[in-house]
Amino acid sequence: MEDLFISMGQGAAILFNPATLFITILYMIGGLLLGMFVGALPGLTTLTAMAILLPIVFFLEPIFGIPFLLGIYKGGIYGGSIPAILVSMPGTGAAVATTFDGPALTRQGKGRKALEMALFSSVAGDLTSDIFTIFMIIPIALIALKIGPPELGAVLFLSLIVISATGSGAFVKGLLVMVLGLFIAMIGQDPIGALSRFTFGVFELRSGISLLPMLIGLFALSELLLNIEKKASAYIDAKLKVREGERLKWSEFRACGRTIMRSTAIGTSIGIIPGVGQVVAAFVGYAAAKNASKHPEKFGKGELEGVAAAEAANNAVNGPTLVPMLTFGIPGDNITAILLGAFVAVGMRPGPQLMAEQGPQVFAILLAMVLANVLFLIVGYLSIPLFARVVRIPKSLLMPLTIMFAFAGVFAVRNNPTDLYILGIFGAIGYILRKYHFDVAPLAMAFILGPEIERALSQTISLSKGNLAGYILFDRPITVVILVLTPLIAWYLWRRSTKLRRESLAMTGQEE
Amino acid sequence: MRMNLMKMVSSAALMLGLSVGGAMAQDFPNKPITLILPLGAGGSHDLNSRVFTSIIPQYLDQAMIVKLMPGASGQTGTAAAATAPADGYTLLFSHNYFDQLQQHVKDLPYDTTKDFVTVARLNSARFCLIVRADSPHKDINGLLEFGRANPGKLEFAHSGQWGAGMVPGARLLQWAKVNANMTPYRGGGPSLRALLAGDADFTVQLPSTIAGQGDAVRTLACVNDEPVVGSPPTFKSIGFPSELGEMHRIVMAPRGIPADRLAKLREAFAKMQEDKTYQRMMSRLGEDTNLMDGAEYEKLRPVQSDTYKELVEAMTKG
Repeated sequence: MEDLFISMGQGAAILFNPATLFITILYMIGGLLLGMFVGALPGLTTLTAMAILLPIVFFLEPIFGIPFLLGIYKGGIYGGSIPAILVSMPGTGAAVATTFDGPALTRQGKGRKALEMALFSSVAGDLTSDIFTIFMIIPIALIALKIGPPELGAVLFLSLIVISATGSGAFVKGLLVMVLGLFIAMIGQDPIGALSRFTFGVFELRSGISLLPMLIGLFALSELLLNIEKKASAYIDAKLKVREGERLKWSEFRACGRTIMRSTAIGTSIGIIPGVGQVVAAFVGYAAAKNASKHPEKFGKGELEGVAAAEAANNAVNGPTLVPMLTFGIPGDNITAILLGAFVAVGMRPGPQLMAEQGPQVFAILLAMVLANVLFLIVGYLSIPLFARVVRIPKSLLMPLTIMFAFAGVFAVRNNPTDLYILGIFGAIGYILRKYHFDVAPLAMAFILGPEIERALSQTISLSKGNLAGYILFDRPITVVILVLTPLIAWYLWRRSTKLRRESLAMTGQEE
Repeated sequence: MRMNLMKMVSSAALMLGLSVGGAMAQDFPNKPITLILPLGAGGSHDLNSRVFTSIIPQYLDQAMIVKLMPGASGQTGTAAAATAPADGYTLLFSHNYFDQLQQHVKDLPYDTTKDFVTVARLNSARFCLIVRADSPHKDINGLLEFGRANPGKLEFAHSGQWGAGMVPGARLLQWAKVNANMTPYRGGGPSLRALLAGDADFTVQLPSTIAGQGDAVRTLACVNDEPVVGSPPTFKSIGFPSELGEMHRIVMAPRGIPADRLAKLREAFAKMQEDKTYQRMMSRLGEDTNLMDGAEYEKLRPVQSDTYKELVEAMTKG
């Protein structure tokens, strides 16, 4: 432990070396701005930006190059929430939970408030989880190693239950939509044997339904269709008067303090489990906030706390996600795979020996992450007025522009015309479902988690060598605990939601 | 008058022919070349392509633009490249398993051998078989003997069905007549985790990954052709035909490409091989720069196809 503090001190000395600190900060700001830009435009993903810019890092000092990439990474996650809040367009899965309350706030003329809340809660979640990661790097690494397919599968299954039980609307409708999502996820190749399913001989379906067109169709296109339908002319003219709205008040931020702390804890815990990720964190953080709230009925109709819950949770995932990459050289996702490439390229080969041999450099980079958060607070805050202006664009221009960006962005990701059909079809599906008061979020969630759960289950069956029950019972105690907890948590959530619904029905009854 | 007309027409035709011929020979490439990757962002093909596409423009006088088209285990991107015009402006950056193995396990809408010709083998990745440091299996023969004596007992964590981390291991097991339990993971990272956590007995990984593991793992054998001093035994040294356990990263062009354009592209890759910056960037990534000329690689493809066919038949039969 003492060694750890010595390394940390040396790391701080490397990062805060006056000769290089200024340049490091400039690179980081550049990365943050770039990340925000690519994150905000659908089709330009953080991942692609990092992959394209990776060769630049080969020619830079580690203390410049890695913070530059980290800047893109952090800026990109926040950038994704900007179109989610303003035009209900999630650029990534992680921003889906932000579309529950963000666009509603924008419609109420509170777009700027929502953007600021998203920024502050993102930074709060990220900063806390980064600091936690620095001090707990060894325990996190040991836990991450213990999470195999059985544990991962059980955690994902529990997440799916929690999310569907706390969705808006009727519980049964949420389940129905969830099953639809699970089915749609099965189109294409199965995650284990790569055999084609439900493709009906259509070659284009072999690669399955891609995520981004589906998300943008379900959330952004359907939103546009619903808006257009609501008396188009009145809608378009009335909103011309909408202003960016006021800034976030300190009291409003403080009121969300508990929510941000809860979401940060959820996000950090989820980050420790490799393979779960930001999407689940945002959903679970949101679900937990709604569940703990005294007025859950306001969630989904423009609740600042909802934005804070989702954004704090998805950013809190970042810190711990890096740990398996740093300590074992095991990247958890594609972004950490690129970071791994960058580390190797600058002569720091992640793995068990990295901490022993180059501990100070590792801590310098971890501290750079903390610094990036502070810088991000400033850069983000200064850029918000610019983004908030979007609401002043007349709706008669903004709506066609949104549609254009939706189609262009979806095509840019894979250069695949099939994705345009998928976008259109899911726009229609989203419109129909929402018109009949189905919540589309469980569909997206099930679509994202379905293949992961299936993979984990298949791997577990393979690992059990034919004796599934015995294997889980005797070799996988953590899995047993999670599996026992799942029905208990589901029962609690179900009881609570029916009770709340009965109360709200009784209340409306009295009013009438 | 009539003569003049004939003259004019014929000289015009001649000039046209000359200028077209000239354009073919000297003006290729006169616009950026698209390099289709049938794989996603962040993988090793992506990283390799980012390096060489930033260097090769010096030798082609044109940019090379990476176009990621992942999906359906490489089929989406490969199909797009197969139907692109064979003018040298669309290339495919693939590997030998998509190129020669996939046809034996899937019904493909294209025939890679008929539809593509090799421009160059950029490099190859030679895999190694590793166990945990505390494993009771001290050497490769010991592991295989244990496997033969205890069918189904050994657990092999690999990086995905019919992928680069699976085939060398599966081929070795088939050759050594070992029946092991194989579990696919999503890439090399998760399969390495399975080994370290004790979920698996062995896995097959790239040397660059193993280098970071230090004392935590023990390398039992590698797919090197020649043994390196101080390194673990090669697959070849135990009698296994090792040359088929490599992953070749290959740049392909649609088969109908004009011969002079193909030659120009091959020449550019050969020149890039000598580039100091290219060599340094690749070594920083931990990748080899063992370029193989396209014509030479063409000879390997039918051999690969036969071996993979045999492997697939043996594995899917029982």
